[in-house]
Amino acid sequence: MRIVILAPGVYSETSCAVAVQLAESGYVPSGALALSTVNWQTLLRKIGQTGLREVMRYGTAKLVLSRPAQAGKLFNPYLQSFLSSDVLFRNLQQVSRYYDFPLTSCRSQNDVTAIEQLKDWNPDLLIFTGGNLLREEVLAIPRLGVLNVHLGLLPEVRGMNSPEWSLLQNVPVGITIHFMDAGIDTGPIVGRYELPDRGGCLSLVDLRNRLIAFGIAKLVEAVAALDRQAARPIPQSRADRKEQFFVMHEWLQARAAERLASNLRATAQWVAQA
Amino acid sequence: MKETSKRFDDRAAMAIFAKGAIDAATLLSAPERIVPLVRQMCRDKARLTLEQRHLYSYSKTCRDSRDALYAAMHWIIEGQRPDGGIAAYYSLLSGYAESYPEVTGYIVPTLYDFENVIGDGWAKAAAERATAWLLTLQMPTGAFPAGLAGTSAGPSVFNTGQILFGLSRAYAETHRSEILNAARRAGDWLISSQDANGAWSGPASYQGRSHTYYSMVAWALADLSRHCEDDRYAIAAIRHLDWALTHFQPSGWIDGINLQGHPNYLHFIAYAIQGVLECGVLCGRSDAVEHAATTARVLLRKFETNKFLCGSYDDDFSSGQRFTCVTGNAQMSCVWLRLYLETDDVRYLNAALKLNEFIKRLMPRAGRGMAGGIPGSYPIWGRYQPLRYISWGAKFFADALMLEQRAKNSFESIETEALACAS
Repeated sequence: MRIVILAPGVYSETSCAVAVQLAESGYVPSGALALSTVNWQTLLRKIGQTGLREVMRYGTAKLVLSRPAQAGKLFNPYLQSFLSSDVLFRNLQQVSRYYDFPLTSCRSQNDVTAIEQLKDWNPDLLIFTGGNLLREEVLAIPRLGVLNVHLGLLPEVRGMNSPEWSLLQNVPVGITIHFMDAGIDTGPIVGRYELPDRGGCLSLVDLRNRLIAFGIAKLVEAVAALDRQAARPIPQSRADRKEQFFVMHEWLQARAAERLASNLRATAQWVAQA
Repeated sequence: MKETSKRFDDRAAMAIFAKGAIDAATLLSAPERIVPLVRQMCRDKARLTLEQRHLYSYSKTCRDSRDALYAAMHWIIEGQRPDGGIAAYYSLLSGYAESYPEVTGYIVPTLYDFENVIGDGWAKAAAERATAWLLTLQMPTGAFPAGLAGTSAGPSVFNTGQILFGLSRAYAETHRSEILNAARRAGDWLISSQDANGAWSGPASYQGRSHTYYSMVAWALADLSRHCEDDRYAIAAIRHLDWALTHFQPSGWIDGINLQGHPNYLHFIAYAIQGVLECGVLCGRSDAVEHAATTARVLLRKFETNKFLCGSYDDDFSSGQRFTCVTGNAQMSCVWLRLYLETDDVRYLNAALKLNEFIKRLMPRAGRGMAGGIPGSYPIWGRYQPLRYISWGAKFFADALMLEQRAKNSFESIETEALACAS
């Protein structure tokens, strides 16, 4: 099966982990298309999303420091096992060189050169690990479709900040693997899985990191199932599509974190009593 | 019909131009206002040029809500004139305007609500001064006049309704019989002016036409009915509510805002939603709440995806103008917060928290007539109340911030209950 990875940047740990896991499972990507690293709009968005201090910390660790001790640290520790089988991969360039697949960069995954490149690779499956909202022209390129891992259970929790909304809406925390369509998280569902050990999550960041790692493992299983033609994607009904969640204000995020902490305390109590 | 409308548009444009020319002449006589004017215009221009709105915009707290509430209330009380009325606006060209009866009326409940927050008598005294002034303005018919103080305008349905909010609340706080009598007379006049179909369209209606945003008047009547336990006012409110609901389209658009010579400003769209929602809640009409929620959700989606609500919308929300009407934003925040309290749907609370962050960023921290004020438009030269900080903007934003606190308390109490059950 010809698989192409769409990445939000060459330094995306998630994209690297997806590429490595696919390659290790026998599905070496036919190519990867990453957004340009230095993109001032993305930079401003990231500053708005995580704050200037976090962006500077991330940038410094990724771009400036290259000592092995620094390089050994991952932002998502749960990806350690995915990324360091023989060598530790710090970026998608290293992964593409190691497994020998082409990597190109683009300003937007919807622009003409990106579309031409994707058509040239002629993929059966695109795997979306981040980037732009994809136009229908891109969605129509792969034979099977564009696969995405959503960090929430669909159709209950569509949109942004899904782990946090799941906590506030009392929906089990989990991931959904689905094909993308023109809507937001409205495409056919390949599989949905609850996170097995939510009680042990220490913080929202920890929860998100665990979900990403869990999602990558399930994604590789889904790709194998699609390859064997054993997966049957289930379309979402129109009624399921109507509600969407948006970026959560930090006050509500703090309440979601409190709820997670109370779960952790309850689990610890239960374990102590048992 | 088109010819009449065109003539009206031309006259409105000429009136705006003439008003602008007078304001500019006033600025020359008060050159100390030139620096704040230029500074504010430059600030908004810079913000417009550099600002990058994205999905994560306004999700972080830029200023404490309590601090912003104190600033807004301070601005309102600073604007209280010696007669007890609240100035309509502070213009960057001509300074403070005269007292505005309509706005003074519906600021009274805000002052009492703020008194419950601070409890030091400061806001209560301002509310009592405002109420005393309003009582002097009532006409023999029970109506209140249109326009600013001293303009000798005729009776106005909308302004009477808005002032009724203040009278009802002042009576609830003081139990003074002369306030209740004044409120009843105003309510009786509103009932006597109502059309058979529930609308208000006579000469005391703006431009002599019926308007769906007069649902605010229906809300005031429902509120009066609650305070004086007289069903006649609630019945009149429900008649108007029934009429207004026939103007709600399946798309969420509300027909019949009906302002000739003006676009459908967000301020009036939000009025129509607020009136229907609150009147629906008071009268136990879940269909009204659902209609209001449908329109509110359309605007919520627009705000969440663009992080911007247009200053005015064409029919059916087909397109909008590039400025924003800040008052309308504050009103929508109130609507979403009230819908959260009614439905427990946290998405309304989330959107309102972010919208309040957006408005806080537009609130100047310094400057006479500006600190704590809410501009009519953003950018400040936008079409709705250009170059002005308006008292009804500060009122609605203060309401939104107090509702925000109430909604947060409600959220936390539900959380505590849920956790108690879980343990």
